[in-house]
Amino acid sequence: MDKQKRCIRYFGPFLGAQERWLNRMAEKGYRLTGTGVLGYAFGPCRPGQVRYCVEWVGEKSPESAGDYRAFLEGLGYRVLEKNVNCNLSLWKLRWRPWAERGGQLAAGGRTFGREIFLVEKDNDGRDFVLHTALADRRQYLRRVQAPWLWLALFLAVLGIGYGPPLWLLSALLPLAPALALQAQIGRLRRRERTEE
Amino acid sequence: MRDNERGGALTEVTFFILLSVFTPRHGYAIMQFVEEQTAGRLTLGAGTLYGALNTLAERGWIAPHGERGGRRRAYCITPAGRVAAERELQRLRTLAETAERIMAGQEETEHG
Repeated sequence: MDKQKRCIRYFGPFLGAQERWLNRMAEKGYRLTGTGVLGYAFGPCRPGQVRYCVEWVGEKSPESAGDYRAFLEGLGYRVLEKNVNCNLSLWKLRWRPWAERGGQLAAGGRTFGREIFLVEKDNDGRDFVLHTALADRRQYLRRVQAPWLWLALFLAVLGIGYGPPLWLLSALLPLAPALALQAQIGRLRRRERTEE
Repeated sequence: MRDNERGGALTEVTFFILLSVFTPRHGYAIMQFVEEQTAGRLTLGAGTLYGALNTLAERGWIAPHGERGGRRRAYCITPAGRVAAERELQRLRTLAETAERIMAGQEETEHG
């Protein structure tokens, strides 16, 4: 039976939730064929045929992201790009202070709207994890955490500079995921004292 | 990738990647090599491997090999990489000898 499906979802920067949802869809026999700002298009596949991993690449320059994508595809993975719209925008200028050089100014079509990779592989029965070494995993989580911290700082500065106090309180919102990530980073750092 | 600069110790991932490119290999072959040589104990995630290859290339220990075939780029070890691998091998031999000496001495103590 030929199954096509379109879904409207917005996960924003919640990578784990998006990854779990894509894998639930794969278990039901739906394979990602395309993405939009809020939409996901699926085609049919055998239930459990593929698995997904969601990877944050928002800090990479276009060249760096392209090179990483080519590497993943060279391993036989399929890569789709997706937006997270995690950016600071003033007038028409989008500045990402957490990004590497070449990626800090996000222009439409090159890095804006392409902050994450949805990586697909054939299901071989193993977990799909892109960062397996402890130090590498810790560094990756710090890259994921950085935009949350910058957003909290941005809101705090707005709250202090412009008021009302609601702006300052809103700075606490992005601190919650940042602190959750910090807890993971701390656990990895403790493990690194005796393991690799 | 965290290497002990003073002690010169390489991480296991780093050493295995260096060993894998004594024969030119591309990314997927490197992942397979590491998994086979460790009987599945060590598996490299693609993200970890990508970062490690870039770091080793920046250090001059590995270099791209041949023409890029489609999406696949092969790497081979450089003379500097061979020196680093040899140094690590000597370090591990010394470590193993020290461990055997101490643990054998401990066994003798326990058995009177």
